[in-house]
Amino acid sequence: MSGPALVPPAIETSGLAKRYGSLWALQECSLMVPQGHITALVGPNGAGKTTLLRILAGLAAPTAGSASVLGRSPEQSEEFLSSIGYLAQDVPLYKRLSAEQHLEVGAGLNQRWDAAGARQRLAALGIPTDRPVSTLSGGQRVQVALGLALAKCPRLLLLDEPVAALDPLARRKFLTSLTEAVAEGDLSVVLSSHLLHDLERVCDHLVLLAASRAQICDDIDHILATHRALVGPRRKLSDVEPGLSVVKAVQTANQTRLLVRTDGPVLDPSWQVDEVGLEDIVLAYMGQEELEGAAHPASLGAAS
Amino acid sequence: MNQLIWRLHYRQVYWALGALTVLVVLLVVTGINMANDYHSFEATCAATQSCGGASSILYRGDGFVIDVVDSTLVISALFGMFWGAPLVAEEYEDGTQNLVWTQGVTRRKWFSVNLAWVFAAAVLWAGALTILVSWWRSPENAIDGRFEAFDVQGIVPIAYAVFAVSLGIAAGTVLRRVVPAIATTIGGFVAVRFPIDVWARPHFMPAVTKLYPPGSQASGPKGAWALSMKLTGPTRAPLSCGKSVSLRCLAAHGYHQSVTYQPAGRFWAFQGIEAAIFVALAVVLIAVAHRLVLKRDA
Repeated sequence: MSGPALVPPAIETSGLAKRYGSLWALQECSLMVPQGHITALVGPNGAGKTTLLRILAGLAAPTAGSASVLGRSPEQSEEFLSSIGYLAQDVPLYKRLSAEQHLEVGAGLNQRWDAAGARQRLAALGIPTDRPVSTLSGGQRVQVALGLALAKCPRLLLLDEPVAALDPLARRKFLTSLTEAVAEGDLSVVLSSHLLHDLERVCDHLVLLAASRAQICDDIDHILATHRALVGPRRKLSDVEPGLSVVKAVQTANQTRLLVRTDGPVLDPSWQVDEVGLEDIVLAYMGQEELEGAAHPASLGAAS
Repeated sequence: MNQLIWRLHYRQVYWALGALTVLVVLLVVTGINMANDYHSFEATCAATQSCGGASSILYRGDGFVIDVVDSTLVISALFGMFWGAPLVAEEYEDGTQNLVWTQGVTRRKWFSVNLAWVFAAAVLWAGALTILVSWWRSPENAIDGRFEAFDVQGIVPIAYAVFAVSLGIAAGTVLRRVVPAIATTIGGFVAVRFPIDVWARPHFMPAVTKLYPPGSQASGPKGAWALSMKLTGPTRAPLSCGKSVSLRCLAAHGYHQSVTYQPAGRFWAFQGIEAAIFVALAVVLIAVAHRLVLKRDA
């Protein structure tokens, strides 16, 4: 299941589950993301994205199952904590401290600390580092928080909806600085969002959580290569050839439209076969959840 | 770690130093006056052999200062409210636990270093004040005994401070909100301090009873802590003292003024017992908070 023994996956979970009271935030979540990717973590609200990231960051303990980050279980050890950077959804910062003071304080909390790099990045973005962060704009605060997370020189960066609060320009700046940071070093990133459009530009890997399970976990190129839209004369779904697994089906009076996952070519010549965009694929999987409620479709979540 | 703690809490340190300075000035000035008054009184007393009304010559015009000293009782609660309660609760309230607990410092270390500083500050502050108050009160201690002002001198103020801070930390950790934690700290502090003060402390050690003639104004030996004074005598014995009951007649029928008290010499034993109770409670509270910080989801 795991890659070459010397390079542990960035993330590997098996049967991961988290329950809050009687509510399952995450269930039977098994996925594997190799190192060196920028992974988009997508899914509808309440799909368990935040829960998954918090478990991976060692902030929450799973109810069942196991998780491993860079070959280590998320735990309270300096080795583990030094290897990850985490940015929570609400962009936590000490509001009375300035960016510069955050950088000074961070130096005392971490063995590795690249304050110079962080200062450079903030200066390049024109963010004042001498004012209390509470006086900065939302976008500037996110940049400061990202700067702090990167200053740790983490090997895995977990970002929970970092762009949600940003306007399109700030969003673009943020994602650009993120890709630059990844290009600079040995870094994997998991980025959760429901703004798929933004993610598609920077991510090369995708994890789709829906109905608190991992429905897809794959390279985006591979996802695009293995999903097809089919249009053909109306027929029963049970008559579809066995190599295709139907993600979404729309039946009209005389047509059947399908979104299928297939590893090989579509053999039945009565189909008109088209490529599909990532957004349509993701929406199809999410729609599946809406249509079938909590019922679990044929498991497509296995890692490639 | 230390840098973070200083950055976040230096205001509290300045406030505390400011308040301590005011108290030091007030107590040193009035304390010197009182000590002088006491020495001249002692000299007169030795010369004239009449030593009545000792207390009345002290604190002339210093009623306000006495109130201030009594109010130092409240200070330990303030430690709990403003140092203890926000320590963990403020992190939760601002979401910064997600920031600080994902840095390269384990929660165990984060908690213990914070604890070390807040306890050091509370012990130093309370220790400085209790030394000062014990000195300030030494003339009155010589006249009325130290039990009169048991909870503002000796070692118990330090134990109260440690307890209050622990209570604040535990409340803040459980509730994760600053204001409810502060309210809980006040309530909890009173709920523990009051019953121990009123009901438990008199029974830390078996009290001593001494009999005086009926009508005696005595309240036990010098410096003792009088718990009760009552007229005791033979039960159901017929009293034939004529029309008016005189003290002499009562005495003749075996009546006594019975005074129950804790001897002055037990002051430090009582201080030790009371301090131990509060420190033990503090240990339990910190153990709870420690476990929650380490094991509960952030």
